[in-house]
Amino acid sequence: MQTMMVKQQQPSPIRRILRKIPLYLVASLGAFLTILPFLWMILSSIRNNSEIFRYPPTIIPDVIRFDNYSKLLEMWPFGTWYLNSVLITVISTIAVLFFSSLAGFGFAKYEFKGRRVMFAILIGSTMIPFQLILIPLFIEVSRLKMINSYAGLIIPFMAPAMGIFLMKQFISTIPNELLDSARIDGCSEFGVYWNIILPLIRPAMGALAIITALGSWNSFIWPLVILHSETMMTLPVGLARLTENVPGKTRDFGVIMAAASLVSVPVLLVFMAMQRQFISGLLSGSVKQ
Amino acid sequence: MSVKAIAKPAGLKVSRRTGFQRQDKLAPYFFVAPFFILFFTFFLFPSLAALILSFFKWNGVGSPDWIGVRNFQRLFEDLNFWMAVRNTVIYMLASLFIVVPMSLVLAALLNSRDLGFRDFWRTAYFSPIVTSSVAIALVFSLLYSKDYGLINAFLVQFGLPKINWLGDGNWAKASIVILMIWRWTGYTAVYFLAGMQTISQDLYEAAMIDGANAVQQFLYITLPLLRPVILFVSILVTTGSLQIFEEPYILTSGGPANATLSVAQYLYTYGIANLKFGLGSAVGLLLFVTIFSLSALQLRTFGIFRED
Repeated sequence: MQTMMVKQQQPSPIRRILRKIPLYLVASLGAFLTILPFLWMILSSIRNNSEIFRYPPTIIPDVIRFDNYSKLLEMWPFGTWYLNSVLITVISTIAVLFFSSLAGFGFAKYEFKGRRVMFAILIGSTMIPFQLILIPLFIEVSRLKMINSYAGLIIPFMAPAMGIFLMKQFISTIPNELLDSARIDGCSEFGVYWNIILPLIRPAMGALAIITALGSWNSFIWPLVILHSETMMTLPVGLARLTENVPGKTRDFGVIMAAASLVSVPVLLVFMAMQRQFISGLLSGSVKQ
Repeated sequence: MSVKAIAKPAGLKVSRRTGFQRQDKLAPYFFVAPFFILFFTFFLFPSLAALILSFFKWNGVGSPDWIGVRNFQRLFEDLNFWMAVRNTVIYMLASLFIVVPMSLVLAALLNSRDLGFRDFWRTAYFSPIVTSSVAIALVFSLLYSKDYGLINAFLVQFGLPKINWLGDGNWAKASIVILMIWRWTGYTAVYFLAGMQTISQDLYEAAMIDGANAVQQFLYITLPLLRPVILFVSILVTTGSLQIFEEPYILTSGGPANATLSVAQYLYTYGIANLKFGLGSAVGLLLFVTIFSLSALQLRTFGIFRED
């Protein structure tokens, strides 16, 4: 009994390595299959069309050429789409962080009339799928003349229930004594938020920023519904546009892959650089969603 | 406590519940007001409007006509709607019975003490979920291509026939499911991994002393202790798959012959593209009722939203 225990806790070096091999093989195969579509996207974007539609497919392009990228920029207002997406993502993220943290502070640190009811409504609303409000929101936004505009893409989503919940939970952990001492020093209530709360909630803000920015950058159905002119489009809508039959323009897979690469590679790079923050941020967001 | 009481400037009240002083009774209202104005205008109001609109016929011009439950009747008589429901249920079942078990196994693998470079694996397996689903669907349409696609080229290498991935109804559904598996497995595995790391190593060591092998340890320690996470992830993928839109919209346009049409896509096609606002709202309402029931289950099971 005693010897068995020792044996199982410290297997011989050879057995350890043998045990590791299948583990590494399976993990590598899965990771390879996961990364393969990204590799194929990039490889397809740097070869010409005759090579994309060649059978059997070749892995490494004959000649590396960036024609697809220059064609993309010539044929489509891709730069405008990029600018639209960047601006909308940045503005949305700042707005969401501000409104969520401010309201989260209100809910976490004050007692006021209707607090419980308001919070219950908020929590209940997280169970409403976006598809329920899609049509009425579309009608409403059209009536407000916000169709086909940045405002229509940003304003309706500046106050996500998930964001305020995340903030409220985090701010609740800040000791009240800190807030009180600031008040004694003459801070206004907004001053308390600005000087005390904001610097302390950086980790939660980081998580919310990642969730919001990713959601905004990749958002598709709502921009698809309200954007009509080509110059107002965001990247995902623009990507879908590339596959449509537009008069005078050919559907070109090399160009589409170039566009797909330009949309996803920057996000992947940021993700790789900050994978810990990304993963914990996304997990915290959906746990509370 | 007494020091605090002395230090308190005159004229300030102490809230009994939160135990701190309040300068300005209006401040909290100012803090939550912008949020609530936005929330009511762009979330609660349209939610209620959807409920009402689903009993009307309206294309945006003139005034809506009250038609009672006719929208729902029409939906239940529409074969395309049933197609969409059937396909969506298939996507849901696939996510539950393929994605969840696969990601459990993957997480167990990544959690093994014999495997190094954990951050690398986590990053690789998580990457599909951070990328635009539209970009991904476009890449997959190239991979699935019948004559030039990488997947068929691979099959032919092994002497297998080419598959008409996007042109055949059943294979097209399989294509969507494969894409879902690719996109979701790593993501949900990271949840399981996080859950597994909270399980005490002592339990496994005790089991090893009793002679339990790796499979037995997984079945009798890991699985039972992960039950809450498994349920949570199951509901996460269920609600996600019930709302699936981009994948069939981009990859197959719902075809061939509506074989991949999802409920969300049906809603978009009829409600937005064909301006059947009432009918579309009715679809949204049905989707909401389904998802709400499942989310309520989630709440009851985990009590995630308990305040304080």
